Amino acid sequence: MSAWRLFRASAALEAAQLRRARGFVILTALAAVNFLAMVSLFGLTGAYAPVALINLDGGPYARGFIEALNGAHHSFALKYMDSTAARKALHSGRLVGIITIPPGFSRSIESGTTVPIDIRIDNVNIDLTNDVQRALPAAIVAFGHRNNFPGVRVIMAEHDVIPHDTGYIPYLVVSALALDAMVIAGILGAMATAREWERRTVKFLRLSPASASVVLAGKLTVAFAVAATALGITLLAIVFGYGVVPVDPWTTVFALAACVAIFTCMGAWLGAVLKRTLAAVPLMFGLAMPLYVDSGALEPTRFDGEKIWLIAHLSPVYYAVGVLEWSFHELRVTPEPVYVDMLVLLAIALVAATLTLGSLARGGRR
Amino acid sequence: MMRGLWGMARNDFRVWLRSPSAIAAALLPALGMGILVAVLTNSVGQQPVALVVQGKGVAATRMANLIKGDREAYLVTEMTPADAERAIGEQRVAAIIVVPAIFDSAVAGATASVDLYLNNVDIDLADDIRRSVTRSIAEFDAPQLGLLGELRGPSEGVLLPNPYRIGIAEHDLRDTNVSFLQYQVIPIVLLIVISIGLLGTSLLTARDFERGTAKMLVLSPVKPSVLVVGRLLGGTLITITLVAPLIALGFLTHHIPYCVEESTAPPWLTILFSGPCGWILPVPSGSHALALVALLIAVTLMTVGLGTLLGVALRDTRLVTMTGLNGSAYLFFLGGGFTTVAFLPHWLQIASRFVPTSYAIEGLRQALFYPDLIGFGRDMLVLSLSAVLSVVLASVMLTRALRRA
Repeated sequence: MSAWRLFRASAALEAAQLRRARGFVILTALAAVNFLAMVSLFGLTGAYAPVALINLDGGPYARGFIEALNGAHHSFALKYMDSTAARKALHSGRLVGIITIPPGFSRSIESGTTVPIDIRIDNVNIDLTNDVQRALPAAIVAFGHRNNFPGVRVIMAEHDVIPHDTGYIPYLVVSALALDAMVIAGILGAMATAREWERRTVKFLRLSPASASVVLAGKLTVAFAVAATALGITLLAIVFGYGVVPVDPWTTVFALAACVAIFTCMGAWLGAVLKRTLAAVPLMFGLAMPLYVDSGALEPTRFDGEKIWLIAHLSPVYYAVGVLEWSFHELRVTPEPVYVDMLVLLAIALVAATLTLGSLARGGRR
Repeated sequence: MMRGLWGMARNDFRVWLRSPSAIAAALLPALGMGILVAVLTNSVGQQPVALVVQGKGVAATRMANLIKGDREAYLVTEMTPADAERAIGEQRVAAIIVVPAIFDSAVAGATASVDLYLNNVDIDLADDIRRSVTRSIAEFDAPQLGLLGELRGPSEGVLLPNPYRIGIAEHDLRDTNVSFLQYQVIPIVLLIVISIGLLGTSLLTARDFERGTAKMLVLSPVKPSVLVVGRLLGGTLITITLVAPLIALGFLTHHIPYCVEESTAPPWLTILFSGPCGWILPVPSGSHALALVALLIAVTLMTVGLGTLLGVALRDTRLVTMTGLNGSAYLFFLGGGFTTVAFLPHWLQIASRFVPTSYAIEGLRQALFYPDLIGFGRDMLVLSLSAVLSVVLASVMLTRALRRA
């Protein structure tokens, strides 16, 4: 039998198997969109702390200060409420703090007197507390500069390395694509090989004179196609739903396709090792989050310390995020050049495919 | 009747313990989230920055000391300009702060500036550094705008005039800060309960239909209603057996000597214990402990009921696993796991009101972190109603399914 016919037959069989497991495939694809939604929810907590504002002054300087609070590096989501409601909300964890502008604020500022602003912070979460503690002086400084008060001797001159800021959610959703590629392609790849053990067909594969590598290629091509379709839908959701458009669309599509192919191979190897889809699925889900967070998904990994950065090199998602952030936003999030990230991913895919073939061969002997 | 009920529960418990993939399905995603939180703890707060001090005068030294002193905000390394440039290129630092050579003379003329070269790769990181550097620079002219001034200045009646004309009187709601890790561990506890309750029971139920053992159960001399209650009891036992030791461990880690910050243990021991030491739950008072137990039981019953419903509806272990994992993730995130619901857009806040886990997370945080139990009655009511509803529905559906098996 020619290799091409064998490839086609293997692919057709895999496609038929997947058609029979439509529900599972749909749920796997749905997981891709789920991850995107979850990462977005996480991203929403990165800024705009809900803070009650009680304005007991109402004068022009109070309004100016409120403007400064609103402009303080995406820090506060001000909620105007009375003190009773604010206190209740603070004590039940619905607010991070309460800022009170005292009566006579504008008059005192006008006369050059320093006025204390009262802030009550629910310091239950140290991260939120730090954000508020740092943002308030930033707002005060902006207020002082805007009003040209005399006596300020030092200012900050900012020079950004990148010409524009990338929003947190646009940054996160791209790294979520890498996570999606790993989970979706990994599960489908694992399913393609684990099924051979679950249905005990691995022996037939071994006994057959057909080339195992061609059979595997056929199976994984279908798994790749299905995973790529799911990822394609996710990509469209990012572009049209989130309005995050890749700087270079074709490079993005190529990079994403490469990641899907690589993770399909890795999944195939996992399936061959675990020999059960039901074991591979939770392992993929379980690995997804730690690998994701230690991959430059939230910020370049090296900023988290040398140890975490070194460990990150064990995660394929690290290289995938490096490639995707570059193709989507032209951001370099790994110190290694992007082509090195890509080469490492290709090497991982080759090793995974070789190991899978080895497992298939050994599986037949048992 | 009791024998039949207990027999069914015991059988489910044993079957589940003999299913490593089912245990993995329930535990691995939750443990993965736990590791995520632990790693995330390292990422919040401090950012690595390079400090280049070119000025040699008193003012430049003072400015540099202000930056170096803010250990809450930065991990500062003093470098030469060339080293700093290399470090930002290699992503060893996120920003370079430069105190220029002419700093002292510029201060005398009130025209000084501190240069910030920022790797603004994403806005969250960039804003963190902008806020911190702004505060450090503000401290130069207004010492009370620093952290110490915020906490111990105007709030304690000591107000120094400053050129920005505003001081900060900060009043913290509680004496001790809860660490980021502790705060985020609470949803993980809940995720474990959801995963085990939902996936454990749904897999057992689906397997009965997939393997045809449901027919054998129906043919047994025990009434279907007893089998149903036995299944729910088994699911509850499985959940409690796995969750109770985990929670107990969270309280016991307080007593591990290697977990205290000033531990003098050798580094290898510290690394070995870093996992369990991260799992620290604040010890609640009597009434708060009761509230905690009540909440956990309500959530367990709710998820066991939901799991049974899922198993009856899908009757396929692979479908059940995928649906359960997706469902658990939604219940977790929309309920406020890793997110603070108050931060979400209004429509999502409303949506989360319909997710019972949001009441569970709020209730657990209230019981563990707050001195009072504000809102606990409402949280408990919603969870109890959800538990009753899911258990009743599960009983009806499973009884019907067993009769038709």
